[in-house]
Amino acid sequence: MLYSTQSAKQTMALGKKLSSQLKGGEVFGLSGELGAGKTTLVKGIALGLGVKKPITSPTFVLMKVYRATNRPIKKLVHIDCYRLKGSEELAAIGAPEYFGQNDTVVLIEWPAKVKKILPKKILNVKLKLGKKNNQRNINFNNR
Amino acid sequence: MIILGIETSCDETAASVLKIERGRFFILSSIVSSQIDIHRPYGGVVPELAARNHIINILPVINQALTKAKVKPAGIDRIATTTGPGLITALLIGVETARVLAQQWQKPIIATNHLKGHLYSSWLENKPIRYPALCLIVSGGHTELILMKSSQSLKKIGATLDDAAGESFDKVAQMLGLGYPGGPAISKLAKTGNAAAFKFPRPMVNEPNFNFSFAGLKTAVLYTKNKLPKIDQQTKADLAASFQQAATDVLVQKTIKAAQHYKAKTVMLTGGVAANRQLRVELGQAVGKIKASFIVPPIKLCTDNAAIIAAAGYFAKPSPWQKLTADPNLEIR
Repeated sequence: MLYSTQSAKQTMALGKKLSSQLKGGEVFGLSGELGAGKTTLVKGIALGLGVKKPITSPTFVLMKVYRATNRPIKKLVHIDCYRLKGSEELAAIGAPEYFGQNDTVVLIEWPAKVKKILPKKILNVKLKLGKKNNQRNINFNNR
Repeated sequence: MIILGIETSCDETAASVLKIERGRFFILSSIVSSQIDIHRPYGGVVPELAARNHIINILPVINQALTKAKVKPAGIDRIATTTGPGLITALLIGVETARVLAQQWQKPIIATNHLKGHLYSSWLENKPIRYPALCLIVSGGHTELILMKSSQSLKKIGATLDDAAGESFDKVAQMLGLGYPGGPAISKLAKTGNAAAFKFPRPMVNEPNFNFSFAGLKTAVLYTKNKLPKIDQQTKADLAASFQQAATDVLVQKTIKAAQHYKAKTVMLTGGVAANRQLRVELGQAVGKIKASFIVPPIKLCTDNAAIIAAAGYFAKPSPWQKLTADPNLEIR
């Protein structure tokens, strides 16, 4: 499924809409260059899941765990693999423990860097800059 | 009081011996073993590599700090160690080392917030601090405004809603192919660039709060860069200078706005990005205009080190070593 958004606001709204379909246990891989809108999409999903704290970039600490208030989802885990060299490093911080938990949604930026460790059922989302200013093409495919 | 400080939250292994006498701070030693060269080929800190190097360096660094300070373990009054925020695998090395030493030497141990370390770095200057005071902490992982009503009353009044200021320097440097660490690389290149060449946004400058946003600025640089037909060295320098100017403007304007709102008498600038010369100069001038005093520690105390951790340890209470845990997302509330 391909979506085209025209502003950061619309990207957030798309994330919010998507969040209403989540059941818990999903793991998303978000790919796209710096500035493609990955974190913006996560902000929208977090908004929809009732996360109260602002979603800030996890680049520095690699993984942030937020409390969600929309049952049955209780946790949103935001992971950034931008600085990682390989899958082992993500394992070292305990990230895989969150994969597939019924009350948790996991969002992984730069998933290509940690391919080996990702669950088979990962949902891939590819974000690209559009031709127009602020336009983003967001492609959801199941595998 | 003599405090041994330990810091391993990111890519520097550091230890320091700090003496506090009649309210004045004396750094007896401050040893920093930097891993920047180790991480440079990867364009950022690699957590696994950082942890491995902390393990190798931690004991020699502590030993060196004690030797240089001419202090024996018996002469130490307390041990302060960073418990967060930072990389969990890196934090654990400092926390576990501090626990073992505290137990072995029978010393009280202080869990120190790395951000409070940056905040209290201003005290190492031994200059009078008048309240209310406002501190801008800017680093690779954080951009926060902290209001202080006394030396121990802290309140976060603003923070970044997305990327930290230092992170935007790193990421823009990556886009321009300048390598890591991005802050010094951008500043160096910006010297030969025209800061007015490109008009970048000043995100959130006019919003009625004290929060920051740097993700949009990063994206604006990306757009501008992608639209240019050809990027020569001068264009790169112009991009770097224009970006640095935009980031500096936002940090300065928001800090001044907060300082005026809370009638701050002292404004402090701390954290790794406080090493940026343009920011030091421009914030200093702006603070002068509103008749507040300005404190910015020397550059070697702005980047990560353990003297600032020991300083923060002076203002906190000891906790039992059994309760000490690393928390990668520790905050100032």
